[in-house]
Amino acid sequence: MSTFTIILIVLAIGLVGAYLGYQRSRSQMAPEGMRPHSRPIYHASFVASWAIIPSLLLLAAWLVVSPIVIAADVRGSFPEGVLAESQLTEDLAYGIVESLGTGLQVLPADERQTVTDTTPVKDLIDLLRQRGVPVASASTDWMVPMALHLNAMQFWSRLAMTAVVIALALGGAYWGYRQIAVRLRARNIVESVVKGALIAASSIAVLTTVGIVFSMLFETVDFFSRISAAEFFFGTTWEPRFSNVGSTGNAGSFGFIPLLAGTLYIGFVAMLIAVPIGLFAAIYMAEYASNRTRSFVKPLLEVLAGIPTIVYGFFALVTVGPFLRDLSAQVSGLLTGDYASFIQAQSVLTAGLVMAIMLIPFVSSLSDDIITSVPGSLRDGSLGLGATRSETVKRVILPAALPGIVSAILLTASRAIGETMIVVLAAGVAANLTLNPLEPMTTITVKIVAQLTGDLEFDTPQTLVAFALGMTLFVITLCLNIYALYIVRKYKEQYE
Amino acid sequence: MMENIQATLNRDPAVQAAKPIKMKSRNVTVHYGAKQALNGISLDIPEHQVTALIGPSGCGKSTYLRCLNRMNDTIDAAKVAGEILLDGQDVYDPDIDVVELRARVGMVFQKPNPFPKSIYENVVYGPKIHGLAHSKQDLDEVVQTSLRKAGLWNEVKDRLDEPGTGLSGGQQQRLCIARAIAVSPEVILMDEPCSALDPIATATVEELIDELRENYTIVIVTHSMQQAARVSQLTAMFHLGDLAESGPTEKMFSNPDDKRTQDYITGRFG
Repeated sequence: MSTFTIILIVLAIGLVGAYLGYQRSRSQMAPEGMRPHSRPIYHASFVASWAIIPSLLLLAAWLVVSPIVIAADVRGSFPEGVLAESQLTEDLAYGIVESLGTGLQVLPADERQTVTDTTPVKDLIDLLRQRGVPVASASTDWMVPMALHLNAMQFWSRLAMTAVVIALALGGAYWGYRQIAVRLRARNIVESVVKGALIAASSIAVLTTVGIVFSMLFETVDFFSRISAAEFFFGTTWEPRFSNVGSTGNAGSFGFIPLLAGTLYIGFVAMLIAVPIGLFAAIYMAEYASNRTRSFVKPLLEVLAGIPTIVYGFFALVTVGPFLRDLSAQVSGLLTGDYASFIQAQSVLTAGLVMAIMLIPFVSSLSDDIITSVPGSLRDGSLGLGATRSETVKRVILPAALPGIVSAILLTASRAIGETMIVVLAAGVAANLTLNPLEPMTTITVKIVAQLTGDLEFDTPQTLVAFALGMTLFVITLCLNIYALYIVRKYKEQYE
Repeated sequence: MMENIQATLNRDPAVQAAKPIKMKSRNVTVHYGAKQALNGISLDIPEHQVTALIGPSGCGKSTYLRCLNRMNDTIDAAKVAGEILLDGQDVYDPDIDVVELRARVGMVFQKPNPFPKSIYENVVYGPKIHGLAHSKQDLDEVVQTSLRKAGLWNEVKDRLDEPGTGLSGGQQQRLCIARAIAVSPEVILMDEPCSALDPIATATVEELIDELRENYTIVIVTHSMQQAARVSQLTAMFHLGDLAESGPTEKMFSNPDDKRTQDYITGRFG
């Protein structure tokens, strides 16, 4: 029985239990004149919780644990010769056994019955080939009984799981149903179940983050065992080269400085343009615009925020970049008579400009929310003293909104640093180290994509460096966010 | 700043009746969109007196108050018609600069609203904007005199750098009054200045209002008839957007002409 069916059955049991619980609770309430502690709906939820939660938890645990147990058992009965070999060989052998097992399930029942412990592996492979199932050539005869054993264990495990889970659901429902009594504090219990569910949801978010960090951490450590940290963090040349298959020796240069410089430079140019424009737009919308204008302009700006960044990339590639190049050619022609453009089509300036367009709605939308949340009484107080609107904005509203605005800006900065598609198309993929904004540069994210594209081998520094880059990027944005939180907290203390 | 003679004269009830008129309104109507909030209010506000606006909730007294320094301008839907004169000049005249008007007609709000700045910065806010002080000494002096007049100096003189929002409710309201005084307005409008305060803080603020009368013309909106009786010399009773009656406070509370006033002050509605 498939897992999905089992879940459906459990839910159905829960529903039926809830209905019965509801009826039982209703019938208990009427006669005695004793005020029941909880309303029937809580008793119903109580029964449903007992039916569903323990059984689904067991189901989840079983699904996680049983493959591990089965694998351990099967590997345990591998021939001595295989066990003596390296872990890698054992993993490989187990992989083949698993695929033989899966293949067996594809065969029609009558053909499957012809396969026994003593069937030579060659015959089995032939059978599978006829059904279009490819099997690795490294198979040997002892693997056939292993595969059969594996299948049998999986079959029994699933059967047992189905039985136990459904039994638990029924048992839970019955237990909950029996518990229903006039003074049962079902409301409190259901409330704590709800609280537990909410806590579980938030811990999933946190644990996922931790998981992501760890998944990068191991690869990063692996990378730094091959390339020294000093070379990575202080090297000024980025030229990893692509490794030839099998030759791990020809490492290139992994200097991370050009990428960091490019990331910060492009981000800086973008923020330099986006922050003032976005902030001014927000001030206009929050303080000056009439309600009608506001209700029209704000959604429009937010639509801008929803455009996929690749589209901005196109815009940079086909419009902004060539325009700046041609413009610079005209300017240089007028000044010197030599029509050579001094702005390249792909440049820091182009990327910064287009990224700024992408960021403006973020800055303005976030800041607008923050500015409008400044109490109107402060606005009145300032205007009542004879301050003009702009004086009010400058001296009262913005200072009061500052912590929020700063955190909005830092949030936007994390976005700027993480942006990839615009940079690829607008600033190119060349890892230059330059101060000239008119030349191409590239960023950390672009290089992560570059290193992870194509045929991958996860044991070369060329690939592993992507994880080191990702980890570094993560740390940078983490620091930005922590700093934003720190600022917000500091100002809050001051003003509360 | 006014002379002491004037202050002495103020205490004489016979002189009070003959005060010159500071603000005069004629047939003021206000619409919020389609809804009419004020129906033709005509009221004289005498100089160096406290004029109390009373009436049940939603009767238009705050709306009227906000007309006097054009704070209603900030509300898109509000449309004001009629005539409001400050020293004989129409405040809704296109030639009048609203910013200048509000410097002359200051306002204290219902909820204390100190800026999230230090006490010092709160007081010097207005003078700085209007360029009333030119040196640090000037500013220090403004801070001291304003806080003294608001009766707050002794409580805060050692902690002028602390945020104004850290004061108690009553202190915050007196800080807001000091802030309004600092721009040397001629008229101070107060919109239920004590409604968010406890009885002790209220008593302090009421005492302060009485003292301020020497130098400023004060218009106060209040819910509390006792407060109107305690602090004001003139009372105007609003009802459903109309001015029911206005006159000397003593007469209003002892012998009102209008039935609605009588009902209100005897607690039959409102």
